[in-house]
Amino acid sequence: MALLECEGLTRRFGGLVAVSSVTMQVATGEVRAVIGPNGAGKSTLFNLINGVLPPSAGLVRFDGEQLTGLTPAQVCQRGVSRTFQLTALFPEMTVRENASLAAQARDAQRWLPFGGGAVFHRARAKADAALERLGLSHVADRPAGLLSHGDQRLLEVAMALAQEPRLLLLDEPTQGLSVEETQQAVETLKTLLAGGELAVVLVEHDMEVVFRLAHKITVLHRGAVIADGTPEEVKADPGVQAAYLGDFADAAD
Amino acid sequence: MGAWRGLILVVAVLALAPLGLPPYMMTLLTEALILGLFAMSLDLMVGYTRLVSFGHAAAYGFGAYCSGWLLINTDLSLPSAVFVAAIASGVLAIGVAWVCTRSTGVSFSMLTLAFAQLLYAITFRWTSVTGGSDGLAGIPRRPGPFGLTALTSKTGFYFFVLGLLVAAFLLCRQLVNSPFGAVLRGIRENEAKTLALGYNTRAYKIAVVALSYALGGLAGALYAPFAGFANSELLFWLLSGQVLIMVIVGGAGTLIGPILGAAFFMFAQHQLSSYTESWAIYFGMLFIFFVLFVPRGIWGSVAARLRRPAADGR
Amino acid sequence: MQLGTLALLLTQTANVLSQTALLFFLGVGLTLIFGIMRVVNFAHGTIYMLGAYIGYSLARVTGSFWVALIVAPIIVGAVGVAFEAGILRRLYGRDGSAFLMVTFGLALILGDVVQIGWGASALRVAVPDLLSGVVLLLGEPFPDYRLFLAGFGVVMAIAIWQVLERTRFGLLIRATSQNPEMARALGTDVQLIRSGVFGVGCGLAALGGVLASPLVTASLGMAASMIIDAFVIVIIGGMGSFVGSLIGAFLVAFVQVFGNFYLPELAIAFIYLIMLLVLIVRPGGLLGKED
Repeated sequence: MALLECEGLTRRFGGLVAVSSVTMQVATGEVRAVIGPNGAGKSTLFNLINGVLPPSAGLVRFDGEQLTGLTPAQVCQRGVSRTFQLTALFPEMTVRENASLAAQARDAQRWLPFGGGAVFHRARAKADAALERLGLSHVADRPAGLLSHGDQRLLEVAMALAQEPRLLLLDEPTQGLSVEETQQAVETLKTLLAGGELAVVLVEHDMEVVFRLAHKITVLHRGAVIADGTPEEVKADPGVQAAYLGDFADAAD
Repeated sequence: MGAWRGLILVVAVLALAPLGLPPYMMTLLTEALILGLFAMSLDLMVGYTRLVSFGHAAAYGFGAYCSGWLLINTDLSLPSAVFVAAIASGVLAIGVAWVCTRSTGVSFSMLTLAFAQLLYAITFRWTSVTGGSDGLAGIPRRPGPFGLTALTSKTGFYFFVLGLLVAAFLLCRQLVNSPFGAVLRGIRENEAKTLALGYNTRAYKIAVVALSYALGGLAGALYAPFAGFANSELLFWLLSGQVLIMVIVGGAGTLIGPILGAAFFMFAQHQLSSYTESWAIYFGMLFIFFVLFVPRGIWGSVAARLRRPAADGR
Repeated sequence: MQLGTLALLLTQTANVLSQTALLFFLGVGLTLIFGIMRVVNFAHGTIYMLGAYIGYSLARVTGSFWVALIVAPIIVGAVGVAFEAGILRRLYGRDGSAFLMVTFGLALILGDVVQIGWGASALRVAVPDLLSGVVLLLGEPFPDYRLFLAGFGVVMAIAIWQVLERTRFGLLIRATSQNPEMARALGTDVQLIRSGVFGVGCGLAALGGVLASPLVTASLGMAASMIIDAFVIVIIGGMGSFVGSLIGAFLVAFVQVFGNFYLPELAIAFIYLIMLLVLIVRPGGLLGKED
């Protein structure tokens, strides 16, 4: 059974239909990429899934439970973590403190107004594990604001991971990285996602990244799904080629 | 451990102060401790959560009027009246915070100011309770509970204030070091991210505003029986501005700094005004000097200097 | 009877307009400064007071209110420019509390300067001879001077609006207000704009002070009460919005005039209540952006 189900998800802004009747499923262990030209509705789709925006129509189900109507914080509490296209960190805290605060959010005693040694201990352990998996252990004590852009992007992922989510929404994880940094990030992500315990939705512009990471691809064009399938199927789809003018047939080679 | 030793030393010195200081200095010191408590309460919002309140006088004035009214019109003992007033301020703050936290940044500051000024206006209107523009006068330090009279003397009251300040400091200190405090730091540095991580940031903000107001109200509740009166100046925006400056001069986000800032403010004002009529000029210059040359505030700068050699040694 | 009520309404409305003019000069300066510099100028009430006192002296020395009306704002504007260049300029990029401290400091300094220079007693400024008479509005006498204020306010509001909309200086102000980095990238001397706007903002407050002095006398209490009026105006209208400051000034003037007449005890609370309601419905003020 699919972990995440979107059914007829629609969002209008005035007269503009940003997301139009999108239906898709993501199962545990699956990495699904959502691609499409600028303005295709990818970020709006994320915002609909994690509750930043209410849908105009349709619904989102997570593990059988309806998410529509919940706040982003509540969605997060159920095991859906998200990274942002624009890096958002706590610049004056250390890398470890960033990840630890992320992990603390899933602790039942996260709000404890006194003591809290045990809470910090648990959060710290999860944070260190996540930093380790993303290869950030060596910068754990540095202020996050002083990291390189590439490491900051990875820290975004580490923070989401430290929350031990069941569904991970990755919004352009390689945004603004150099070719070399992108290569490394893709390697790291590939190892990470190979575990199979996570469901992942990936929004990404870089088609090479998409084809190396994704098992399934959903193609959005003007808010609507124009193709849905394995990378090979999508590459061969004439409608997609028309929409992209053959852009990613080249990129995939 | 060094921190604990320092704290015990300072409290010991303060506890011995009545032996060595002349009465008028004890009066000043008592007032400085009350203002210190007031400034420290604001630091929870300003320094730890970056909720810049332009209306913190609302907490102080409300607490002062509450305890003043209770001491004049009921049989409550001094500690009970002070305690009830502090709780009432905290409860008031939940309403205030519920409205104010709908906004952020300058809008938040302006909303807090609007609330404080509304209270200020109400004290003028509601003459039967507040005494109008005269305020409440002749507020007693009533003995009790159980016939206890130790707190009603000047020295006894000083120890009462000192004890409450130390207790409030310890409370705040463990709060900012708790998981709750970690979330506040998150809100301070990046509220949108904290929200996205799954924290209900508004609930945290309302809680911290309530605690901040309760402690600010406690300070005001102590001021009324200390001075023997409560008037609308305790709610005026000028006091809100002054307490914010005490926090910044002392060092925001350090708890100790604002207490020092309040004491510095009080004694500087006292000293300057005994030398010169135009003390405000020097005071104004002092603020500008601080902003330009001591941007982290008194304790912020001291703490940075204390920390640096340790970091080098590592 | 009917005519009497109508006449009263008319004179009260004229009162609201003249009061709006005074408050507008105060509020528009504060809002321009905030729009450009993100500085909440706590010294604005003191600047207004300084204008009133300098105007008083100029009127006495030269014997002409009109000279005072023109020269006092220029002097105070120069004080503003000097403060911006000497102090504020070192602080851009720091957080808001730094500006709070220095403008609060400036308020203390100028407040004492006024007390040393002019003494603690309130000073009466004579209404200029030309405007010392009254006109009859439906048989009800109304001071010429207040009528002049209302007219002058309208003229100045249109003038400021035209400067903002039509001139290059106005364009640069609006551009800097919306996006300082972009304005700088396009070759605007942001530094000059900031100095200019701080000076103009202070000058406008001083103009309000001079204009108000024949009505309310110049006193040390002016500063504390005017700064809060100024805050209320720009908060209601929206920080940084020119039209907002006009609307805010009108609302406050309306409540002050009619409230003081019909519900004198509630008027002051009523203003803050309006401010609160506006902020609850629109957190950035009527015409402001939420930051």
